[in-house]
Amino acid sequence: MTRHMVAVLGAAALGVSFAAQAQDVVKIGQIEAQTGTLATYGWMGYQGARLAIDEINRAGGFKVGAKTYKLELVSQDTRGNPQEALIQIKGLLEQQRVKYVFGPFLTNVFNGIEPYATQNNGKFLMMGGATAIHAMLGKPNHEYLIRTWNWDAGASGFGQLMVDYLKQQGAKKTAMLFQNDAFGKVAVDIYSPIFQKAGIELQIELFEPGTKDYSAPLAKLAAGKPEFLFPGYTDAVLYDIVRQATETGLFKRFFLVRGSMGPGLKNKDLIDDYIAYLPKYFEEAEKKEPKVKAFVAAYKQFYKTNEFPYDQAPLCSSSCYDHVYMLVEAMKKAGTVDDVAKVKQALLSENYHGLWNLRYDASGEAVFDFDVLHMRKGGAITATRVTPH
Amino acid sequence: MKRLAGTALVAAALLALPLATQSDFVLTILVFAFLQGMLAVSFNLVFGYAGQLSMFHAAAFGIAAYATHLFGKHLGVGYWGGVVLAAALVAAISVVVGAICFRFRLREFYFAVVTLAFSEMARLTVLNWNSMTNGSLGINLQERPIDGTLAWYYVALGALAITLVVCWRLVHSWMGRAFVAIRLNDELGDTLGINVFRYKLVAFTAGSIMAAFAGSLYAYFLGSLEPGLLSIDTSLGIIAMVLLGGRRAVAAPVLGALVLTALPHLIHFSAEIRSLVYGAILIFSILVMPQGIYGAAAQLIRRHA
Amino acid sequence: MTQLIAGQLLNGAIVGTLYGIVALGVTLTFGITGIVNFALGVFMMLGAYAAWYFADTVGLPYPLAVLAAVGVTAAAGLAADQALFRFTRNNLVNGLLVSLGLIAVLEACALLVFTATPKEMHRVLPGIVMLGGLVLPKMKLVVFALLLTVIFATYAALTRTWTGRAAYAYAQNPEAAALMGVATARLQSGVVVYSCGLAGLGGALYAALYSLEPTLGSLFILKAVEAAILAGIGSVTGALLGGVILGVTEGVGSIYLPLAFRDAYGLVFLVLILLFKPAGLFAGRR
Repeated sequence: MTRHMVAVLGAAALGVSFAAQAQDVVKIGQIEAQTGTLATYGWMGYQGARLAIDEINRAGGFKVGAKTYKLELVSQDTRGNPQEALIQIKGLLEQQRVKYVFGPFLTNVFNGIEPYATQNNGKFLMMGGATAIHAMLGKPNHEYLIRTWNWDAGASGFGQLMVDYLKQQGAKKTAMLFQNDAFGKVAVDIYSPIFQKAGIELQIELFEPGTKDYSAPLAKLAAGKPEFLFPGYTDAVLYDIVRQATETGLFKRFFLVRGSMGPGLKNKDLIDDYIAYLPKYFEEAEKKEPKVKAFVAAYKQFYKTNEFPYDQAPLCSSSCYDHVYMLVEAMKKAGTVDDVAKVKQALLSENYHGLWNLRYDASGEAVFDFDVLHMRKGGAITATRVTPH
Repeated sequence: MKRLAGTALVAAALLALPLATQSDFVLTILVFAFLQGMLAVSFNLVFGYAGQLSMFHAAAFGIAAYATHLFGKHLGVGYWGGVVLAAALVAAISVVVGAICFRFRLREFYFAVVTLAFSEMARLTVLNWNSMTNGSLGINLQERPIDGTLAWYYVALGALAITLVVCWRLVHSWMGRAFVAIRLNDELGDTLGINVFRYKLVAFTAGSIMAAFAGSLYAYFLGSLEPGLLSIDTSLGIIAMVLLGGRRAVAAPVLGALVLTALPHLIHFSAEIRSLVYGAILIFSILVMPQGIYGAAAQLIRRHA
Repeated sequence: MTQLIAGQLLNGAIVGTLYGIVALGVTLTFGITGIVNFALGVFMMLGAYAAWYFADTVGLPYPLAVLAAVGVTAAAGLAADQALFRFTRNNLVNGLLVSLGLIAVLEACALLVFTATPKEMHRVLPGIVMLGGLVLPKMKLVVFALLLTVIFATYAALTRTWTGRAAYAYAQNPEAAALMGVATARLQSGVVVYSCGLAGLGGALYAALYSLEPTLGSLFILKAVEAAILAGIGSVTGALLGGVILGVTEGVGSIYLPLAFRDAYGLVFLVLILLFKPAGLFAGRR
């Protein structure tokens, strides 16, 4: 009788402790535009984070101190609307008690949730790629903020390195054709001084978002006889700009800091040089880097598909797969899942080697190695890996 | 008497609500719903009662939002001073736009197109006047004139209540009867001696001023400004709220505002489905249920009374 | 500089015919059914995606793809007419609201099916033409010629064929036309279908020149309405002229004035026209 009771009690105790372990969950919130016209930026983050969390959980979770934890993703679709995002972040922090939030990528969404987020400084960490986050890093009461996309300017800026590469191609004058919107303005402010310092003359034209026929600005810019066209920044406009520039023979050499290789490849026989910044050239990296190969295979298996989104994958350099793993490492190193200040400290001191070699600078902004893609006439692409200091 | 009792009951419930739920999440949804309700009710004054389809409402909303901040910053009048000045600015612009439209005897449709044109011009101005408005980057508002969601809840509720009372008084006055006459047949109204021009202008301006107040409050509750506030999407959202809620009662559009603000958080729509729903509401309301939820409910009650 | 202007004059005229074909649809629809069909923009979008689908995915030769796209758009137009526009005849405000609703629905569907990723058709007719010092893609000239042909054919049909003259008569005096045996309901549906087909043609040709995204219609419809109002109802050539004027003004204006304000020029034009050529611009209808 007693032995039986001891066995039952023992089993019960074990059962209770198992249950307690299974309930140790760290929630990761995500606040991105997953659908709608601006979804390109949030979608890949969602795909990558989900995959990482599944892998970690299937491996049994992760251990911090004596406890084992699993991860749970609480993902919200902002649809690119700041009002929705504000309501959603309140739900995440207040009802779901989330301490780690990935996102947002969109500046207007970030502006909408920033006041509330700042009020809750110290209670959570927000790791997003929005341009507007850059200006907020280091401000008082903004310790919760980390920016997961790299910045064009600054000591570790990739813009400087891109322009250096351009200079090596013999550029003396470049025509810049950007949208008259959020990033367009910022881009002009960032690149004007960089080009000036490099000794390359820059002629700037801004167009209204929604333009389809670029014959006027292209003709205007071509009159100045620049060697390169620097168009920006989404594929939506790049396809038309590159096509119209090449079919009329006005431009043969292109320089990009955003966008995919698609527009270049479509017009490859009319282009002499197509130089683009890409966080990673997955098509080639898949063959050369084991971690990338494993990622592609895992993605295909998890999402039950034979197609890997090569054009979206470079966006996984922000608030995505690597960052989940990096966060887990930081929690292990800090020895806590609750003390966000300690976790942030650990994050900022980490040098993570995943799909990318990732680290954060002192202000909390990401620095990672990237590829400079150079396509020549006919479509042959060479990728040069660049590591910022 | 019954209606007064009903209204009092609803008012009491709304006033007491924060006691029942401390949730910031729920209160935030309601604040947005009240502010959108202000927009919808004031739009209905112009569209439902006076029969003028104004596409300028979103512009009034957005201009006031920006103006409140800019007046406060450059003239040092503080938030509330900015609110008043912004409303005055919107009133002035509305009088000019309205005078142009109505003086040239533009009928409802052309009025819609011209107000759309003015609205787009306002949006383009905000988008391109970088030195003042910071263009498409928007502005982060640092001031906190009203602190805390609870305070905002009562301010928004109060503002909505004031809007409702003002519209109700207007609609039930001799001016309101003139509006109805204009809506039904403005040429006839002219022959009856109603100064059609003046009443159209009054309705349009009054509606725009109330939208301006909504804009001043909305922007500071959200904490940021962006040119998207003046977009056609905002106008579409307002029309959808009014059509869904109903046009024939002053408070009916609030129902539409409540549903469209809260629904995306109860049922998770993708952005595409949400657009589809908005479009379907517009089509459905025009063809099948022109009275809106309120009207349909009232009809049901009357039939079973 | 003169070369720049000359180039923009020509390019503006070509872009203007794209505005013009949709404007023609707008003006015909208004004349016969009494509403301004804002949804013609999404029908243009439908035509563009249909042409891309038939040409690149199904593999039809481009001219066939265009015909198929026009067919699809016309069929969609018929469906929309029977389900929606039939109930808003001569009610401008309801027509506007229903059109706005249809736009939201169709754009959402396109976004769901095709996603926001831009689609580009294969190069149908690569190569350029040199006109003096001006460079122009061959395809743009082909599109120009085709659209002009269709617009003038429409004009001929309206003035020479029985159906066309019946339509004209109806626009002038509906009661008298009905008394003379014009099948009103069929005429109205027919015009809606034809206008949607025109927009679909515009879209199918657009697809050969530019990249596609679900919102491409919204820009064009605003321009098309501006062009239609500029020219006046019942004027087929007017719709074309309005479109060309708009296209040229934008192109040439962009050289001197900031590009960022390009859309504003058309809007100012629109307001001025509506004010100074008052509601009587759409003469013959209430």
